[in-house]
Amino acid sequence: MDRSLTVKHLSDEELASRVAAGSFSLFEELVSRYSARLFHFLRHRTETDQDIEDMVQDTFLKAFRSIDRFNPEWKFSTWLYTIAGRSAISRHRSNKKMKTNPTITSSIPGPEEIVIQKQESQNIWELASLLPEKEYEALWLRYAEDMSIKEISKVTKKKPVSVRVLLYRARLNLAKKIDQSAFSKKFAGTPVKHKLSFL
Amino acid sequence: MFCTVYKWLISQAADSGKPVSGFVKNHIHRCDSCREFAQLCESLKPKFAQDKQAILKNYDEALSKKIISALPKERAPISSRQRSAGKLLARKPVLIPSLAAAFLVVVISIGVIFIAVHRSRDMGSFGHPSEWVSAASPEVLLVKAESPLETEYQELKKNLDATTKFLRSYLDFHIGPQTE
Repeated sequence: MDRSLTVKHLSDEELASRVAAGSFSLFEELVSRYSARLFHFLRHRTETDQDIEDMVQDTFLKAFRSIDRFNPEWKFSTWLYTIAGRSAISRHRSNKKMKTNPTITSSIPGPEEIVIQKQESQNIWELASLLPEKEYEALWLRYAEDMSIKEISKVTKKKPVSVRVLLYRARLNLAKKIDQSAFSKKFAGTPVKHKLSFL
Repeated sequence: MFCTVYKWLISQAADSGKPVSGFVKNHIHRCDSCREFAQLCESLKPKFAQDKQAILKNYDEALSKKIISALPKERAPISSRQRSAGKLLARKPVLIPSLAAAFLVVVISIGVIFIAVHRSRDMGSFGHPSEWVSAASPEVLLVKAESPLETEYQELKKNLDATTKFLRSYLDFHIGPQTE
């Protein structure tokens, strides 16, 4: 009981260092902290949930094998997301080679239905998932992971200015999506603030 | 028309957390579209943070358990290929300057060889020295061999005479035995 409490209080970087030192069981804590987050980060990369789960699993396997290469001076999340991005790219390449026609069953909703469902959803992440892949990922890293521009540029292998442009486009497109969705009513209902924090 | 620029500046401010400048503030107060965009940028952070918890709840447990069960109990050794790639990356700071230096050496060597080949072409062929030694008399050869030295000697002599004359006229002193 005490041990689990202590583990919960350890930072990601401390956990990773301990795993590298030989406490392999602590890796489970890292998995539980990051699996769902990686799932949402990678959700744009493939079509099915099964594929995303496989990619998340690949990412953790690679991280586990090369944990002794992790530098604790850096953030663990940046390192893990970089691995996730790379493994998604390599998986995408191998999938391209052996691509077959997917069998579509009637129970799976069509793309239009999915878009409508997402537009009607009250969750802003569902709405953001309608944005292009890169824009969604930049938003995820910025707002879900609270990464700085420099860290995002490291994960996405883009220049900081490109990341800023990506975030700018994402915000503009998200504003358009909000206007088209049920969200617009919610936003319209909120009183106009005269004083914004960055004003 | 300038709203694109203002929106870009607002977006930049949202990224950096710094306040926007005065002229952007004035524009935001006048322009509805930019004010809405600024409001959106402002509200995104708390909204995304709030909704993140909701979407993570749906997946957390099942996915984590699945991945943990798939993890090996012991850490498998890294394959030789991965290890060598790792070592190569670790040596990267040394490797890049070394490669650059090697490349420079190769380029300089090629340049030297290229120049040498061209020079030898320009000079033409001379044949073996014994051929032209036998073709000329020893006196002629001696004159030919000594003539550059002689020319040099004459040149030096002329320069020295000129310098002495100049110094004599300029400093007005006499070199040699006193006549008084």
